[in-house]
Amino acid sequence: MTTHKTAGQTGRKKQVSFVIRDEVERQHRAGVNSLQLDPVTNRLFSAGQDSIIRTWNCKDAKMGKDPYIHSMEHHTDWVNDIVLCCGGKNLISASSDTTVKVWNAHKGFCMSTLRTHKDYVRALAYARDKEQVASAGLDRSIFLWDVNTLTALTASNNTVTTSSMAGSKNSIYSLAMNPAGTVIVSGSTEKILRVWDPRTCVKQMKLIGHSDNVKALVVNRDGTLCLSGSSDGSIKLWSLGQQQCIQTIRAHHEGVWAILATEGFSHVISGGRDKKVVMTDLKNQKRQVVICEESAPVLKMVATPDTSGLWVATSDSTINFWTIPKRDSLTEVGSGDEADCGNVKPVNSKPEATIKGGPALRNYHILNDKRHILTRDTENNVAIYDVLQVRKEKDLGQVDFETEIKNRFKKVYVPPWFSVDLKTGMLTINLGQDEVDCFSAWVSSKEAELTLNENVEQKVNYGSMVLRALLEKWWMKIANDTNDQNVPHGRANNDYFKVPDHTPLIFSEVAGRTLYRLLVKDVGGDNEATLLNETVPQWVKDIVVEKNMPKFTKISFYLQPHGTCNFKTLKKDRLIANDFIQMNKVAEHVFEKVLGSESGSVAVSSSPGAEQTDDQETNSLAEDKVELLCSDEVLDSNMDLRTVKHFIWKSPTDLTLHFRPLKSSQNSVQKP
Amino acid sequence: MGANITQLEKDIGADQFPPNEHYFGLVNFGNTCYSNSVLQALYFCKPFREKVLEYKARNKRTKETLLSCLADLFHSIATQKKKVGSIAPKKFIARLRKEKEEFDNYMQQDAHEFLNFLINHINEIILAERGQNSNKGGRNTVSSDGDQSSNKNGEFSAQSEPTWVHEIFQGILTSETRCLNCETVSSKDEDFFDLQVDIDQNTSITHCLRCFSNIEMLSNENKFKCDHCSSYQEATKRMRVKKLPMILALHLKRFKYMEQYNRHIKVSHRVVFPLELRLFNLSDDAVNPDRMYNLVAVVIHCGSGPNRGHYISIVKSHDFWLLFDDDMVDKIEQSAIEDFYGLTSDVQKSSETGYILFYQSRDGAETKTTSSETKMNGK
Repeated sequence: MTTHKTAGQTGRKKQVSFVIRDEVERQHRAGVNSLQLDPVTNRLFSAGQDSIIRTWNCKDAKMGKDPYIHSMEHHTDWVNDIVLCCGGKNLISASSDTTVKVWNAHKGFCMSTLRTHKDYVRALAYARDKEQVASAGLDRSIFLWDVNTLTALTASNNTVTTSSMAGSKNSIYSLAMNPAGTVIVSGSTEKILRVWDPRTCVKQMKLIGHSDNVKALVVNRDGTLCLSGSSDGSIKLWSLGQQQCIQTIRAHHEGVWAILATEGFSHVISGGRDKKVVMTDLKNQKRQVVICEESAPVLKMVATPDTSGLWVATSDSTINFWTIPKRDSLTEVGSGDEADCGNVKPVNSKPEATIKGGPALRNYHILNDKRHILTRDTENNVAIYDVLQVRKEKDLGQVDFETEIKNRFKKVYVPPWFSVDLKTGMLTINLGQDEVDCFSAWVSSKEAELTLNENVEQKVNYGSMVLRALLEKWWMKIANDTNDQNVPHGRANNDYFKVPDHTPLIFSEVAGRTLYRLLVKDVGGDNEATLLNETVPQWVKDIVVEKNMPKFTKISFYLQPHGTCNFKTLKKDRLIANDFIQMNKVAEHVFEKVLGSESGSVAVSSSPGAEQTDDQETNSLAEDKVELLCSDEVLDSNMDLRTVKHFIWKSPTDLTLHFRPLKSSQNSVQKP
Repeated sequence: MGANITQLEKDIGADQFPPNEHYFGLVNFGNTCYSNSVLQALYFCKPFREKVLEYKARNKRTKETLLSCLADLFHSIATQKKKVGSIAPKKFIARLRKEKEEFDNYMQQDAHEFLNFLINHINEIILAERGQNSNKGGRNTVSSDGDQSSNKNGEFSAQSEPTWVHEIFQGILTSETRCLNCETVSSKDEDFFDLQVDIDQNTSITHCLRCFSNIEMLSNENKFKCDHCSSYQEATKRMRVKKLPMILALHLKRFKYMEQYNRHIKVSHRVVFPLELRLFNLSDDAVNPDRMYNLVAVVIHCGSGPNRGHYISIVKSHDFWLLFDDDMVDKIEQSAIEDFYGLTSDVQKSSETGYILFYQSRDGAETKTTSSETKMNGK
């Protein structure tokens, strides 16, 4: 795979993300944005919001067999459009990850990545006769690519020249070219169509008429006519020669998002937000038929070469195949008014074939242990994930989400160390250093149920554990290469997990572009290592390669005698401690330093080694003699400082803890 | 001032002087004109004055708060033997400096920041006192454990009911956001005590309010997190007024941060504010779209920057206009208001310009607040 870089490394902050998912995701997880049909192999290509492009066997789909062939995975955000070119040999894809990718369509691997766009790439257009593809998106620019150059790119020969069509003032949502590549049309939130000659990149005209965004475009073979579908609910037929709208077609109650024209521009098939697919005779638009009504807004349609049927993609994950009625069978319905178009019953009640999609994760709740996440998908299935081990722990079925959250509530506070993204319908975990510091969560190994070394009570850092596990093959390779004896080989000094090999790992700019995506199993490769050296941010290298320890988080607090005990008020000392320090340790401090010093001698002193060897006993001794309170609430001895601050103190100001000696021991402490 | 009839009384005319009305200047304690100008404007917002005096009558001996100090000040103006003169708002300023660190100095402050603080703070005081009262009724003994929860409950019910500050100043803005991918429109309401309006040169407040409700595109780095799409998408956003308040306070954003100077610069643009105002940037489901407003008070900034210069105010009392400049009070002609619209050229930096406009709803002018509200809602 080659990488075409026009934008170099920028100074923006980087983050590391990983996706918790199955190794093979056979079904689309969310809406399907684009479709392409290869009539030769009878394969359907679908691209979706789950970032994956899938290939299907249409024959199997129609016979009710599992049609899945394979997936093309390399995008990290929605794939918005795809174009099949070179007679089905190559596929070009446009994504919200701001890249355009070139694929080997037969084998399904990514050949190169074009990073010229600066925002979501929304639309592609294809000139078959010339093997040219144009891409456009929210960065307002249109780039024209020569497909044969793109497919010939190699690691060493990775420069491409592109021409661009300038002039669009707003984000582009649709694009079309004729097969000869003599005309290119764009639709945007400017509400106008802009037309260029792609051979010279010279602006030809602006077409004004729509009152909202233009989301679908088709140009006829010789580049004289253009059909546009708009969010204003109308379809317009434009004469490019006369530079004007020659017909306005009303077929939908809401935005028109997808259109197809039959050969010769005799009929238009349209779909959109109202979920209907409608065929209209362009010579007499009263002759209209509702082909089908989908269960979700229609995003894309592709017809068979003989126009006997069409595949319909919607914002639901299932793709359906519908029969197109004979065009001469169209009869006049109603007056052709907008008011009538919705009242017509679809001619098909059931699709002829279906490629079943799966549910997308839509809601999540991070549990207080900051390790487990409850999710709910579009079919109301609830599941629980373990972020630390990068896996789904359990499917809970269609249970009540809120109840599950409530049942799993624990009064424990762990600082947040990751953020969650569900844009692909799968669980993506982001680790960074910005708003959420991924090294902020220190947890005792006991609490985390990681009995790594039986007796030693260890503190583990969630962020560093998961990063080391994800990049294990990489840092071990570096260690081996440098022959560093200090770095433990293998998993002898085990403080991390083995994470699933198929886990996608993504390096990106924070809230920005993707820099590099690879699978956990590949991080040890030679080529990958070179790229990783360039991309892995320093804060990750510090922990993973240099083996530095993340810093502890400190909490400052005041310790004062409780009002009910007759202590003379001590100086208000500000103390600082690690946020995971538990109340029994604070009690110990009070017992030894505060009460002890006041009475002039220490009643019970712990021997130097006691803390490590006989921890339990000393604690229980201190606990029995001193009670700690916060906001007049008696604190459990296992509670840690941050939990007290979060759940009891409930304020960003410095925490105040009160102590009082317990009755049984008070006398002996005060008067030894 | 002496026993002689003052110039102001002469200007108004003895027979024309409104009964039970007092025009008292406020003494400046060193850059406290930001407070003086706002207090005068509020004093002449009749519904507000009435409620403050009512509060004074009901709460004879309460613990000192900013509201009690304000009530004392308004009461002392309203009960002066003389009709004109000046008064020193000593206790109020002292309390203000105690309440908020930012005001605890002798520097010039932003009058809008002060107004904003004052209205919110008064509202909080009312809510807090309401919470206490509802507690007192319920129980006689205060136990350490159970008290907390009952307090919370009391506060909760007290929070939900609007205070008289809400009834006077609070309006509702609704923002409608349309995702450009799924085209779902989501709307969100938010309460406001004043509208902060961007201004353009040689325009009117009506124009500025219309711009306030222009469609804004959320794109590039500023995309909208669409719940429906579970991702960041482009969107259009529009802010419109859903409920008009009884007193509409308009803050003209005259202090713009200029990066090249690393400070705020005054924008002296000429913006005409009419004596009568009707809003057109209302949402389709607006509660009281036909409300007509009369201009009742204007806080004016004189000078070149937010931290220098001077604040004065002009108010309408009965049928004439008065100018309050700290302890000085003058009658002015209605036509003189034009002088405070701003400058048509940007050459001069210093200007005397309307900064906060107080418009009072016509239907709320005479009738009691609550009855007019229900009348409007019932339509």
